[in-house]
Amino acid sequence: MLKVENLVTRFGSVVAIDGVSMTAQESKITTVIGANGAGKSTLLRTISGLEHPASGSITWKGQSILGKRPEEIVRLGIAHVPEGHAVISELSVEENISMGSLFRRNKYKSDVTAAMDEMYALFPRLKERRKQLAGTLSGGERQMLAISRALVSRPQLLLLDEPSLGLAPLVVEQIIDSVNTLCRTTGLSVLLVEQNANTALGVADHGVLLALGKVVADRPASELKADATLRAAYLGY
Amino acid sequence: MNTFLAALSSGTSRGAIFALVALGLVIVWRGAGIVNFAQMGQAMFSTYIASTLITNGNSYWIAFFVALISGAVLGALLDILVMRPLSNKKQSELLSSESMRAAVPVIASLGILGALQALAGIIWAAEERGFPAPAKQEGFNFAGNVLPFTSFDLFVVSIVTVTLIITTLFFTKTGIGLAMRATALNQEVAKLSGIRTNRTRTISWAISGAASSLAGLLITPTANLSPNSLDLVLIVGFTAAVVGGLDSPAGAVLGGFILGMVISFVTFFSTPEDVFLAILAVLLLVLIIRPRGILGSKDARRV
Amino acid sequence: MRAVSKTQKKSIARTSLIRTLLFVAAILLVSAQFDAYNQGQLAVVLILFIGVLSVTLLTGISGQLSLGQGALMAVGGYSTALLMINYKLSLWVAVPLSIITSALAGLLLGVAAARLRGPYLAGTTLVIALAIPTIANRFMSVFKGDEGLPVDVGYPPQWFSNLFGEPTYEQWQLYVALPFAAIALFFASNILKSRTGRMWRSIRDNETATSLSGVNFSRQKIYVFVVSSSFAGLSGALYGLRGLVGPSVYPVSLSLLLLTAAVLGGIRSITGAFIGTIIVVFLPDWIELVLGNFELSEQVSNYLPALISSLLLILTVVINPAGVAGTRLHKHK
Repeated sequence: MLKVENLVTRFGSVVAIDGVSMTAQESKITTVIGANGAGKSTLLRTISGLEHPASGSITWKGQSILGKRPEEIVRLGIAHVPEGHAVISELSVEENISMGSLFRRNKYKSDVTAAMDEMYALFPRLKERRKQLAGTLSGGERQMLAISRALVSRPQLLLLDEPSLGLAPLVVEQIIDSVNTLCRTTGLSVLLVEQNANTALGVADHGVLLALGKVVADRPASELKADATLRAAYLGY
Repeated sequence: MNTFLAALSSGTSRGAIFALVALGLVIVWRGAGIVNFAQMGQAMFSTYIASTLITNGNSYWIAFFVALISGAVLGALLDILVMRPLSNKKQSELLSSESMRAAVPVIASLGILGALQALAGIIWAAEERGFPAPAKQEGFNFAGNVLPFTSFDLFVVSIVTVTLIITTLFFTKTGIGLAMRATALNQEVAKLSGIRTNRTRTISWAISGAASSLAGLLITPTANLSPNSLDLVLIVGFTAAVVGGLDSPAGAVLGGFILGMVISFVTFFSTPEDVFLAILAVLLLVLIIRPRGILGSKDARRV
Repeated sequence: MRAVSKTQKKSIARTSLIRTLLFVAAILLVSAQFDAYNQGQLAVVLILFIGVLSVTLLTGISGQLSLGQGALMAVGGYSTALLMINYKLSLWVAVPLSIITSALAGLLLGVAAARLRGPYLAGTTLVIALAIPTIANRFMSVFKGDEGLPVDVGYPPQWFSNLFGEPTYEQWQLYVALPFAAIALFFASNILKSRTGRMWRSIRDNETATSLSGVNFSRQKIYVFVVSSSFAGLSGALYGLRGLVGPSVYPVSLSLLLLTAAVLGGIRSITGAFIGTIIVVFLPDWIELVLGNFELSEQVSNYLPALISSLLLILTVVINPAGVAGTRLHKHK
């Protein structure tokens, strides 16, 4: 379980997250929604160690992970898929996925191959293209690839940043469905950042609404979905 | 005809060495994103260590391996002590500009080069000293004629070929090789994949250090050892890497051999003074006609 | 780019002039207190200061790293020497003419280098720095190869000695270098504050954005090379006038010396250039002062200054890239 308390992250004089406290519950999908610039991505990047917070605490399974390097946080079981299809275009599909399990090769040799097979089963299109360079893939395929890379590290918490960005609705649906299934079948906890609040609240168990770096609402997703005033005020629909 | 053959064979063995130097530059470029101008300074330093060991009575091969190891260690130290603090430094108005961010590591590596040369001068003085070759430098005897190809040349070409094969396999088939490539291409994604990027970069530096030490050991027998003896090799290695494509190991080999041939033929058929000008001409030609290098990818020019 | 009005141009020129005059006055005052050796050192400072300014303009302001400034100094040196020897011109004519030849060399260099960035530019200029001096050996009849061309500052004219008394040789070197250094300072100061300076800074800071906004990049880059090479050539001319123009006078390490001075002092300012030059020129003397009591072998003392300045360079780049002058916050860098 991930617990964030009073987290503050600054970029120079700009305060991106201003005292955010929230929890990502085990085996549930928690979604962080809000308008552009609300601080959602910064929150994920601070959790995964790419950004350093000015103050506050981040606790994972009872231990503080504040100040740890991203590569160490991955090894503790948190995998981050940053926004923008974070894959390496110059490497092949297979190599991109392998990257995610490199650090497990010593200890869990057999599981590494199993993990990769699972990804190919989850996303058959990737298996077809496994020798191709990632740069030749479509947007949706690249997003699947990025998620695969994160999943082969066998995380307990998946940080997913705006998976729908730039993708057609049908593809988005497919991806979100896959993630949802994963959560329900394997117990993977998911922290999903999305601008498309409707889609996100459709699969999530819990929702956190951010505005200008602060938490405005922290409720079960069904309640948020039903609250028309809140939606109109912060989400514009 | 004889001169032609002599030039050809000299070009081959020299080309092999330049390929090695270029390869070292390519490894650091691919692994750490910078061009290491100090590389031949490291090579010179390792070769001096080997030379000292030999003078004290050790066998060539012991000195050889010690030099390779010291080259790797020196490379790793340079990364840990200088390059890593440099890349961690985010605060500075100076570094907010694109070009300064690219220039700063170059300046640092030049500083390292100067320091290594000065240190070598202090420890071993500036007098030139010879350095032995492990194989005969006489030409092979074939059907009564002496070929311009010596057993040392054969030694050089074989070692370089083996090194190149090992390096290619290393980069494409091993986990560490993948980690190094990932770190060079996109550090953030590499970190998020659990790759320890700092450690990976240090390994790139260590491997490059060993490769350049090897080059130093191979080329010094035909020249003499002094703090500045490998300056020319650095220039040629750099040009070879650019000609072949800074991000392509195969390109490094190709570039090395092209340059080896060019230099060899210029030396044999014109005057040695023209060598520098010939190198400059080749460099400018490539940069104007095909800036990415012969085998370089589109991103090879990414600074 | 915001246009600069005529009155602004005049006031920039006036500020530069005042700076220059203060500089000249300070040098004269200080040098009067020095002994002959240090006066000679001060002369070297003035000469190399011009060369370091070429690095400041090229690298500090427009962000292009060139390792070939030593070669451009050689161009200036050889031009002056040939003009003085073959055409019997006085140094006061030969040196300004050499600025023109250096500018032309800079033009060639700029055209070749305008497309290059970062390590490619650095490496190419390094190759050039090594290649140019070999021309001296290639065409030995003209350039006299390694032997070089002997030239010097000669003797002060009669009217000067009558007016100011007979100066020592070192003092005369100083008096010859000073007006050129002053002119260099004036122009550098002017450029830095002008619209041109702003354009050059924008090349350095954000090449992508600036090119998109329509500034003709290549032309400006070439222009920087021309100007910077003029400075380097002038410096090289004066440097050769210390006694000899030859390949040994302009080695690759000279280019690195200029770069080191610029970085140590502060690569973005004229003050930094001056501070850096002082450090680099007087470092061997300071080392001897500190370590003179220890019995150092010749081996060590030969290489110690180089070692220390290299280490200083590394430390500066890693810890405080802005250099000595840059640690204070300046608005226009």
